[in-house]
Amino acid sequence: METKKIPLTINGIETTVVKGTTLLNAINKLNIDIPTLCHHKDLTPNGSCRLCMCEISMDGKKELVTSCNYPITHSITVETENEKVKKHRKNLSLMYLGRYPNVPVIKDLAKRCEAYDANLFKSEITEESTNACILCGRCVRACEEFIQEKILSFAGRGINRHLTMPFNEVDPHCVGCTSCAYVCPTGAIQIVDQMNNPANPELIRNHGMKVNAEMANLDPYQCRMREVGTANIVEVMDKYDLLPVHNYKFGQHVDTPKIDSKVMKNHYFTQGHPDQCWHGCSMACAKAVDGFKLKTGPYKGHKVCVDGPEYETAGGCSNMGCFDIDFVVEFNFYCDTYGIDTISMGTTMAFVMEAFEAGVITTKDTNGLKLNFGACNEVLTCLHQLSQGEGFGVEVGQGVKFLKEKWSKQKPQFKNFLYDIGMEAKGLEYSEYMCKESLAQQAGYTLALKGPQHDEAWLIFMDMVNNQIPSFEDKAEALYYFPLFRTWFGLQGLCKIVWNDVSPADNKKHPPQQAAKIPEHVDNYWKFFEGMTGIKLDEEKMLNQSARVHNLQKIIGLMLGRNKLIDDIPPYRAVGPVTKEEYTSRSERYDKELKEKIGIDPTPLSIEEKMQKIREYRMHQYHKVMQAAFKRRGWDEFGIPKIERLKELGIDRPEFIQILEKARQEAREQN
Amino acid sequence: MITVNNRDQLEWSPNMTVQDVLNHMGHTYSLITVTVNDKLVEDEDYDSFVVPDHAFVSVFHLAHGG
Ligand code: SF4
Ligand code: SF4
Ligand code: FES
Repeated sequence: METKKIPLTINGIETTVVKGTTLLNAINKLNIDIPTLCHHKDLTPNGSCRLCMCEISMDGKKELVTSCNYPITHSITVETENEKVKKHRKNLSLMYLGRYPNVPVIKDLAKRCEAYDANLFKSEITEESTNACILCGRCVRACEEFIQEKILSFAGRGINRHLTMPFNEVDPHCVGCTSCAYVCPTGAIQIVDQMNNPANPELIRNHGMKVNAEMANLDPYQCRMREVGTANIVEVMDKYDLLPVHNYKFGQHVDTPKIDSKVMKNHYFTQGHPDQCWHGCSMACAKAVDGFKLKTGPYKGHKVCVDGPEYETAGGCSNMGCFDIDFVVEFNFYCDTYGIDTISMGTTMAFVMEAFEAGVITTKDTNGLKLNFGACNEVLTCLHQLSQGEGFGVEVGQGVKFLKEKWSKQKPQFKNFLYDIGMEAKGLEYSEYMCKESLAQQAGYTLALKGPQHDEAWLIFMDMVNNQIPSFEDKAEALYYFPLFRTWFGLQGLCKIVWNDVSPADNKKHPPQQAAKIPEHVDNYWKFFEGMTGIKLDEEKMLNQSARVHNLQKIIGLMLGRNKLIDDIPPYRAVGPVTKEEYTSRSERYDKELKEKIGIDPTPLSIEEKMQKIREYRMHQYHKVMQAAFKRRGWDEFGIPKIERLKELGIDRPEFIQILEKARQEAREQN
Repeated sequence: MITVNNRDQLEWSPNMTVQDVLNHMGHTYSLITVTVNDKLVEDEDYDSFVVPDHAFVSVFHLAHGG
């Protein structure tokens, strides 16, 4: 096995580092001080100032190397302060001093290197300013690496070399992210704040800069948001049996590689630079496909630009069994063009397809369309019909709730089946995560006041894979914190992606329950808030701000006759196997559950009996977790806020209390 | 036998590394934190850190997406 750890000796001290570590990082790890100038911890080293020079010996040969960009690949011996090294640094410092005699960082450096005579190597051009540009190039790299722009560069040669923007003019592509100023060691780049009077712009900048640095340094090894955007999740979900396939029956499919992020990146994505969806955002997660030739619809034959596809769109397509990447891009284009949500369309069509394959509906109901799983062309036909207000598309456009109610009335013998497989709650289609093996995720989706929307899909790994919230109380706590946190930063207009699609390198230092919150990134958000408003936040204050809105949403829902207990109950497909085919696909898991969790020997039971037992057990579990979540929120057993909770939050207005008491009375009568 | 995430049982074998455990479990996620008997294992040690028999291994996946 190739060893990743390399032994080395620095100033007589033996140590080991991971192969590829830079010599400067190895030196710093031992708390040995050496001078640097062009180096910045968050930027790719470029070895231009040569002040970090050290002498290394390997196989009897000695050599001077710049430590900041020297990767350790073999065992070496290093000297950081011998006479040769010191002389070299002193000469360099004298030259810097000769040209920039008044810049504090140069004066400090010269002192450190015992270089005192500013006239010894006096430059033809002496810059007297205290914040002169010393041509270290950090700003150029920051612009390119943090923000993926190339606004700054050097022009001129030799002594006339200088920093400039293209054609010496202010480049309109500069987003004003201030990364260049942040990394400048001399203050040569000044920030002039012309904003909407934030209380503390520096606080906002400094914390924004942390995100920029993480994107530049960590994203390539983490979620690859800059490279492929959210499409990176397609293969992850498939691998973990969470990708919805055939109306959430299954969580994986052999054809997933045909629509995963590798295919999108290698053959489709042509744009991946910052698109300003959040001004100055360095994550640049939006992707686009240029020159895509459409095969159907009103723009057939046109070459168009398509924004996406993102994960949820690909998930909607796998849910319909449509594993054809050209279809995914075309579906994405027309949904966007017609103003249709790809998630709702994908989930609705998946429901229609299952009903069609099960014989609940036929071509008579679909105006002749054969809507089997994987029927890509027919899906596009339906989509075009929907936009034109004609044919079966008109019905599809009204969503799962409408269709299941309509068909149940027409064909009452299928009512239970349709209600089991119709993946909607509160009228909204479920987003594209197969949640039936995660109790917390079922509740995360179904208890969401706005319906099972995709920004509630965070508990699935914590629960199903990590098993980190095993008890009902643990789940209820997660169901309290995460939706409220989500609501809070949504209210502030902050993007979610920089919360958990990149994670600080040392997030591992937290125990799992804390790590899942990504405390440093929550703190970034609090600092953005404080920087704007001047108000300091902590977890309790943040959650209470959010809980006020959350409870008001609930009250408004109740006022409109919605958000009742029945609306918090998921279709059974979200909870467990509806069909024998599903049970069989995971029979090992379900048989084990019967034996170990329910205490029933599955051997003598028929599949139908086993499915019934699993169903009773899982729905019972769901009700328990729902009640635990209500309790944690300060709501009663019907999911209606208690008056004490309103008082705690300072929103106990008489008209709200009246709405709640009326709803409570009705709930008592109905349940 | 070792226990993964307080739930899944995995047959132990001599010289089994953290990487072997991840392979067995099919854990390919990029945001993973591994502890063995509550001791944090750094990413670069996954293929050299030997998991003892009867160990409790935690493989924590940090959620993203959604
Ligand atoms: S403010 Fe940002 S975009 Fe503009 S030059 Fe500086 S680093 Fe580049
Ligand atoms: S402006 Fe600042 S960061 Fe850029 S090259 Fe000059 S000294 Fe370095
Ligand atoms: S700090 Fe290494 S060359 Fe400048």
